[in-house]
Amino acid sequence: MAEVVLQGVSKAYAGRPTVHAVDLTIADKEFMVLVGPSGCGKSTTLRMVAGLEDITAGRLLIDGADVTHAAPQKRDIAMVFQSYALYPHMTAFRNMAFGLLKTTDLGKAEVDRRIREAAEILHIGHLLERKPNQLSGGERQRVAIGRALVRQPKVFLFDEPLSNLDAKLRTRMRGELKRLHKELGLTVIYVTHDQIEAMTLGTRVAILSEGRLQQVGAPMELYMHPANTFVATFIGTPEMSLLRCAVRPEGNGSLLQHERFLTALPARPDAAEVFLGVRPEEILISQSAEGITRGIVERTELIGSEALAEILIGRDRVVARMPISEAPESGEEVSLTFDFGRARLFDATNGRALTSI
Amino acid sequence: MTSLQIQTIPSPAAPPMAEPARSALTALRRGWLHLLLVPLALLWLSPLLWILVTSLKARTEVFDPAAGFWPLALQWSNYPAALSVAPFGTYLVNSVMVTGGILIAQLVTITLAAYTFARLTFPGKNLLFTLFLLQIMFPIYATFLTNFVTVREFGILNSLPAMIVPFVASGYGTFMLRQAFRQVPTELADAARLDGCGHFGILWHVYLPLVKPTLIAFGIITVVTHWNDYMWPLLVTNSEGVRTLPIGLGLLAKSDSGADWTRLMAATVVVVSPLLLLFVIFQRRFVDSFMHAGLK
Repeated sequence: MAEVVLQGVSKAYAGRPTVHAVDLTIADKEFMVLVGPSGCGKSTTLRMVAGLEDITAGRLLIDGADVTHAAPQKRDIAMVFQSYALYPHMTAFRNMAFGLLKTTDLGKAEVDRRIREAAEILHIGHLLERKPNQLSGGERQRVAIGRALVRQPKVFLFDEPLSNLDAKLRTRMRGELKRLHKELGLTVIYVTHDQIEAMTLGTRVAILSEGRLQQVGAPMELYMHPANTFVATFIGTPEMSLLRCAVRPEGNGSLLQHERFLTALPARPDAAEVFLGVRPEEILISQSAEGITRGIVERTELIGSEALAEILIGRDRVVARMPISEAPESGEEVSLTFDFGRARLFDATNGRALTSI
Repeated sequence: MTSLQIQTIPSPAAPPMAEPARSALTALRRGWLHLLLVPLALLWLSPLLWILVTSLKARTEVFDPAAGFWPLALQWSNYPAALSVAPFGTYLVNSVMVTGGILIAQLVTITLAAYTFARLTFPGKNLLFTLFLLQIMFPIYATFLTNFVTVREFGILNSLPAMIVPFVASGYGTFMLRQAFRQVPTELADAARLDGCGHFGILWHVYLPLVKPTLIAFGIITVVTHWNDYMWPLLVTNSEGVRTLPIGLGLLAKSDSGADWTRLMAATVVVVSPLLLLFVIFQRRFVDSFMHAGLK
């Protein structure tokens, strides 16, 4: 059992707040990903959990114990850094043994056994006598993970661990991390700015922006039901298109009026101005058939299995996804239909998702 | 396969050249640096050689233009004669104690100060560091008088500590080491904190091993400076029991009958040899550690 609870955890540097009262519970054996653009406070939050930064206000509980002001080594956590932070003057073995020997009173045999075991899991048995500068990026990464594994901590913290690897290796390590989490039943808090990493790795994802928690949920939940325009546009590539519309009551429902189209809604959203959010795969285009509106294709990108088209509807620009065979030419005028079963509305004044569509 | 064939065919662009001329050119290409370095090395060696040669001459040969560069007969007796003028054994022990004492004390103080300036934040840090830098800008002689007064107040005049105490801190060393510490990624210190280290643990297990080249470089500078120091030991000592080697040399130079050059040079050889030996030993380490640093 290793539940991590953040209660109103805040951070201020010289009076300037950078993390605002984050409330977050990471369940036992959960893979929680903190994601957001750079400077959103995700790394600071992680470092507060690690004890590397003081917590300005709020409480941090690990496994029920209040560790808000406990020293890092008293928190029973281990961390993998972006730069791996392996001690350059120690061999891989020594790097893994160092923390164990400092923080526990395990015998040499037990330390040795744990390191061999972790090395086996990570396939780095043959690298143990090498120093970090004799290892490749991927191997260093494995040693850094090994250093965390041998500690057998309650919680594993990862601070953008894959961002220094090339694309191919990153995908492989992503799979590896997922396997480790599943096989060893680890509790993980993982920080990244890469939403693909967040979506593929996390059992749940917490999205931060400007030091505030925007939404916490399972990856697909965030994708399908974003809580606000920030989450809506942050998750998904290409990002969700937002079309500004006015809402006019009409009978039991309402009319959604865009600069270039008018459409009826069965419900009545609680806002005068809204953003209609549509994802690329929720836009259907055709050359001939009557759609809800028409637009000019600005640009078409063929990305292998499919095509992406940027289409101008009045002043708004949307991105649509389609099979290669149906890709329009740029400059062409096409008619568009939106999949209103999945499209969602956001209050234009504060960006919050509206419950009814 | 094609690439292999291409490699074996001699390049038609290269002009045909006679075998000896070509090998001379290759030798020149490989050895041109030596053409520059050998004369420089000889230049550097010449005073040492001159000292050595003079120390083995008879007294009359030194200023005799007809005597030539090499001694007629090796006068090994100059050495015991020189060493009998003053208790050089005691001087040697004193020199080792003073230089060693300063080195150890400095390593402790500059390490702690440099870590503080490199990694901790506290009010007045920048002002304090500026003061440290100011200390480097003052010529050491400017502080001799106040240091002398302080040492006298301590009541340690004419003792080994008098030669050590004024030098236990080093603005230069602190600055040098602070720069080196700042090169160490902060994530390493973070990792060490998670691994259960406090400030001293981080310093000992992470920072110091990583700045070894800087420490060695500083150590060499400090040893050379204080081994050769003449002025300060002369000022604060006046009895034979606490004098150091450079002062012993001075005694020979100021003998009543004028400088006795053969004995003086014999004593000089004795004085500089430990330093030369140290240099030869550490030269390896020096190059090694810098090459190591380059790989990281």
